[in-house]
Amino acid sequence: MNRRTLVIGIAVVALVGMFASLPSGVTAQGKVVKIGFSLPLTGADADGADAILKGAQMAIAEINAKGGVKGYKLEAVVFDSATPAAGQYDPAQAATNYKKFVADTLVMAAVGPVMSGEGKAISPIMSEADMATITPSSTNPDITDPKFQSQYRPKGKAVYFRTVTTDAFQGPNMANYLFHSQKIKSVYVLDDGGAFGVGIADSFQKRAGELGVKILGRDRLDPKEADYKTILTKIKGLNPDALYYGGVMQAAAKLAPQSYEVMPKVIKAGSDGVYDLSWPKQSGKEAVDGWFCSQASPELVTSPKLEAWVSKFKSAMKRDPTNYAITSYNAVLVIADAVERTAASGKPLTRSALRDAIQATKLSSIQGPIAFDANGDILTRTVSIYQWRDGEIKYVSVAPEK
Amino acid sequence: MSTLDVVLQQIVNGLALGMMYALLALGFTMVYGIIELINFSHFSVFMTGTFVGLVVLNLMGVTAGGRSLTGLPLIGTLAVLFVVTMAVTGVLGVLIERVCLRSLRNVPGSAPMITTIGVAFILINAMLLTWGPQTQRFPQLLPNWRWALGAAEITFKQVVLFVVGLVLMLALSHLVKRTTLGKTMRATAQDADAARMMGIDVDRVIVLTFFLGSALAGAGSLFFGLYYGFTGYYIGYTTGLRAFTSAVLGGIGSIPGAVVGGLFIGLTQSLGGQLLGVKWTDVIIFSILIVIMVFRPNGLLGARLPQKA
Repeated sequence: MNRRTLVIGIAVVALVGMFASLPSGVTAQGKVVKIGFSLPLTGADADGADAILKGAQMAIAEINAKGGVKGYKLEAVVFDSATPAAGQYDPAQAATNYKKFVADTLVMAAVGPVMSGEGKAISPIMSEADMATITPSSTNPDITDPKFQSQYRPKGKAVYFRTVTTDAFQGPNMANYLFHSQKIKSVYVLDDGGAFGVGIADSFQKRAGELGVKILGRDRLDPKEADYKTILTKIKGLNPDALYYGGVMQAAAKLAPQSYEVMPKVIKAGSDGVYDLSWPKQSGKEAVDGWFCSQASPELVTSPKLEAWVSKFKSAMKRDPTNYAITSYNAVLVIADAVERTAASGKPLTRSALRDAIQATKLSSIQGPIAFDANGDILTRTVSIYQWRDGEIKYVSVAPEK
Repeated sequence: MSTLDVVLQQIVNGLALGMMYALLALGFTMVYGIIELINFSHFSVFMTGTFVGLVVLNLMGVTAGGRSLTGLPLIGTLAVLFVVTMAVTGVLGVLIERVCLRSLRNVPGSAPMITTIGVAFILINAMLLTWGPQTQRFPQLLPNWRWALGAAEITFKQVVLFVVGLVLMLALSHLVKRTTLGKTMRATAQDADAARMMGIDVDRVIVLTFFLGSALAGAGSLFFGLYYGFTGYYIGYTTGLRAFTSAVLGGIGSIPGAVVGGLFIGLTQSLGGQLLGVKWTDVIIFSILIVIMVFRPNGLLGARLPQKA
């Protein structure tokens, strides 16, 4: 045997060994169900993503402490979806992460993504794999809209489930609130160019127009730009009652102090994209004060019914919870519940069976009843309004639906 | 506000913004003028400078949320801040030259320029890993005075920015054109070998040039922090790209050109944003750049062609 054949021989043996050690499906491997998590754990929105991940981790820890679901232990597979180049979430990275989930045969479902821009990138991947993902925070309505079925779920079945409602309600309901409660007559609308930001600014603008609020203009912020004085001066010149910003933290961190300087008295409102507990630290307390923001869920953190849950979260996770930490906690419960029903029915636990079980969810949870329509959207459509006061987010009310 | 007031306000905003670009472009264009290197790491040194300033201020007990200083303590704090930050960024520039660029000095083509892009990425990621990706607040040391110009207004910070930009431009021009050091720099630029034969220590001149350019980036970074009140690891990118455009527009290597180019870009950005919308900012700026490059390849004030390709 010459040297070359020896090398080839070793390589072949090594390859065979590798394949032999690959897991051959869930049942053979034993009792583990992996759940994929892809979140922007670094980047401008890291704080919100951290709360979301910890909410889910708490649910997994609780379930495993009770011995798992029908003998299955839950296990989180966590990937960061932010990249240094973007400085925030990166849809391409999210797609890469979800492809890794699909490639891992033990991953049965996913929780996430956090951002709608990621959602648009990953929904078709999940559709191809016939695997469900449950987002605790992404609210862009297009992803689940049957109108865009060929784009986001080419295989037809819903794979993108939500434990929050969509911007089809979040944007318009903020418009309702500002019109009815703050009596605004005119508004200028900004977005940050992201899929989420543009979508919610569109839906806000449409509803505000329907209500008879004068739309003074619409422009787009570059999140990496340092100077927003140009656009703010232009807006000040139009003398609006309110400014609405659809987008996430990178641009908001600079928009707040600069708009505070240029037009301190104008009513300012954003969405859940600026419901971020680190905002006063990034922009200064006085600049953030007065801003309205929203959540595509009922107010949970301060609800008396959740007092025990909140204190447990605080002591276990060493941070304050957010509402989306709770919707994320519930996303895990939905998956656990679906695993239980699938196992009880005697069907083999596949991604497809789990998706069907998630579709049929009827769960009563700490955020209220959870059930999905045929597109994956949650049936409860509550949007909550908040205001920053003295450096803290204060719950104001449920947003009017009309 | 009437339309006229808004336009006046946009002109004030645009001039201040343009001076910010000019401050950055000055050091960049000076280094190009001496050694004809397009040094993209300049803008990352600038970004690093904001964080150096932040550390210096924190060490002196000045934080973003704290009380504002006045009088002598303010002047003292600013003096220490500028001296230390400019020294640190200056040394950083020297290190970049010594470690990454000296061995490439006689390599023809774009290798040194590409290296500076690599250095820029190293600095960006170093700051990202050290400070995290979130926006950091920069303490507001300068008083918030403002004066009315009709319904428009001009702030003390804008005036400071403007005065400092002009003074630095004049000082740099003087240094390069009228002093012995400037003469050795220009001699090195024209022909390093001949300069060496005349007894000029070429290495020392190049090190000094880098020190000066990077110290200027440090000064620019402090004005950025004091003016905008924030910093982040990514600020060198967009602002740097505009500053680069300003330098090219004004005529790369020309010190007054950097200021003219900066003001031009600043005004274009603010008036273009007013008339068309800020989402068109980059389209407008780079279209103008292309037009200038086609019809005046040496920029607005650039007289000579680069001597080395």
